[in-house]
Amino acid sequence: MTAWNTFYRQFIELEAYKNFLIGLKNTAIIAVFGLLIGLVVGCLLATCQILPKTNRFIKFLSRVADVYIAVFRGTPMVVQLLLIHFVIFPAAGINIDSVIEAVLIFGLNSGAYVSEIMRGGILSVDIGQTEAGRALGLTYGQTMMKIVLPQAVKNVVPTLGNEFIALLKETSVVSFIAVTDLTKAFKSIGDSTFEYIFPYLMLAATYLILVLLVTGLIKLIERRMRASDKR
Amino acid sequence: MISVKNIYKNFGPKGEIKVLKGASCEIQKGEQVVIIGPSGGGKSTFLRCMNLLEEPTYGEVWLEDSLLTPPDPYLHFDVIEASRTFGKMQAEHPERAKEDIIREIKEKDLLTSREGKAYKTLLRDIESQYREDINKARSRMGMVFQHFNLFNNLTVIQNLILAPVELKLLSKEEAEARAMSLLERIGLADKRDEYPSKLSGGQKQRVAIVRALVMNPEVILFDEPTSALDPEMVGEVLDLMKDLAKEGMTMVVVTHEMGFAREVADRVLFMADGVIAEEGTPKDIFENPQNPRLQQFLQKVL
Repeated sequence: MTAWNTFYRQFIELEAYKNFLIGLKNTAIIAVFGLLIGLVVGCLLATCQILPKTNRFIKFLSRVADVYIAVFRGTPMVVQLLLIHFVIFPAAGINIDSVIEAVLIFGLNSGAYVSEIMRGGILSVDIGQTEAGRALGLTYGQTMMKIVLPQAVKNVVPTLGNEFIALLKETSVVSFIAVTDLTKAFKSIGDSTFEYIFPYLMLAATYLILVLLVTGLIKLIERRMRASDKR
Repeated sequence: MISVKNIYKNFGPKGEIKVLKGASCEIQKGEQVVIIGPSGGGKSTFLRCMNLLEEPTYGEVWLEDSLLTPPDPYLHFDVIEASRTFGKMQAEHPERAKEDIIREIKEKDLLTSREGKAYKTLLRDIESQYREDINKARSRMGMVFQHFNLFNNLTVIQNLILAPVELKLLSKEEAEARAMSLLERIGLADKRDEYPSKLSGGQKQRVAIVRALVMNPEVILFDEPTSALDPEMVGEVLDLMKDLAKEGMTMVVVTHEMGFAREVADRVLFMADGVIAEEGTPKDIFENPQNPRLQQFLQKVL
């Protein structure tokens, strides 16, 4: 049990758990706020794409959204992180806390995925719902807000949960821009003791527990929203 | 009440699918008009053009004195006369009668997007004088769909009061009182807090009719209201519609229920190949059909 003893000594007696807590906090912050920003950006992008293309401005917006989604979905998360942290932000003279920076970048990235999820959700709502709203004299906006979006959101909760889980796990690459997250916290324990078994097993277990918690939360939300369904 | 003037409707990216080919009709206040005809003949499209769920490619739709579509230059002689095309054609053949030139322009669809200032001013004048906001117009016309289209995310009572409250036509209390008295009338007051998924087809359709009634509409359009129902539920929906007809509600009904057409309609329109091929009283239509397409159709359905 020497490997366990080494890990225990490093974690508790040499207070590596403090680093772990910081890592846990950062991982949680980046995942949660990243998703929130992603939701806002995603809804905006989906709106740009779904608006009836009646004039040039909306067509232009929809093109911009297309390009945005293509770029953010078409390049790896790590590459975006590196590019923005080491090239774009320095060139623009922006110098902010790395955690906030990570939140922003993950949010922008997630937005591209969320927008496709939302678009799919909106398109999955029967066109008859829109027609019934419009036939009563409601505006496009009122019909969207009161009828289509509530149903779309309900339809996409499982997929959004999926996106949140993916985002949570993908935060493990933020150490590339010197943010202490879970992965980095455990890796440094291993690096300083040269015993990797328990740090990495614990790392995996921590992610697994977080994901299980999120899964439970999503199920709860889903059950609440399904009140109007027979299924 | 509603006048539909010379409606054309093309579908498809290049407008190659021509569904309506110059259909017109006038609906009088308090009248019950039933539209029958073979599938694919354009009945539903025609009905949906009345509240602009489909935008006609050409032609105009009027609700009382309000124009719902953009003005159609081909329907206004003075507009055609003000066009450059007309001017050119008159200059080439000064001896031709005005009406003759106008007819040729209409038949050959000669107007372009560049017809000059006088032409555009006239069109804009018509528009500013008569054109009404489509949302306002729609709130005056109810619509009942084949697939009910109750809002799945809202309870029965929320379905009924959403539009009048959102559009500030009624306060929430007024709307609820009105909705409840209508629900009581159709015997579904106990379903007020159920979601649509818990209702039977017949109940859904009756709630959908009530949803239109809460708005106190001047006319209700019915788009095959019984086609998606199990046979034993058709009766309850038709009975409610008959009641409305007796009360003098203006109704336009697209249906395959010939019995209903015979019993309730003041006038029956037979629609085939994108035009109103024959119209008349139920007696004329069912007992003395003139158009061969109508004779054929009746042979199949009766």
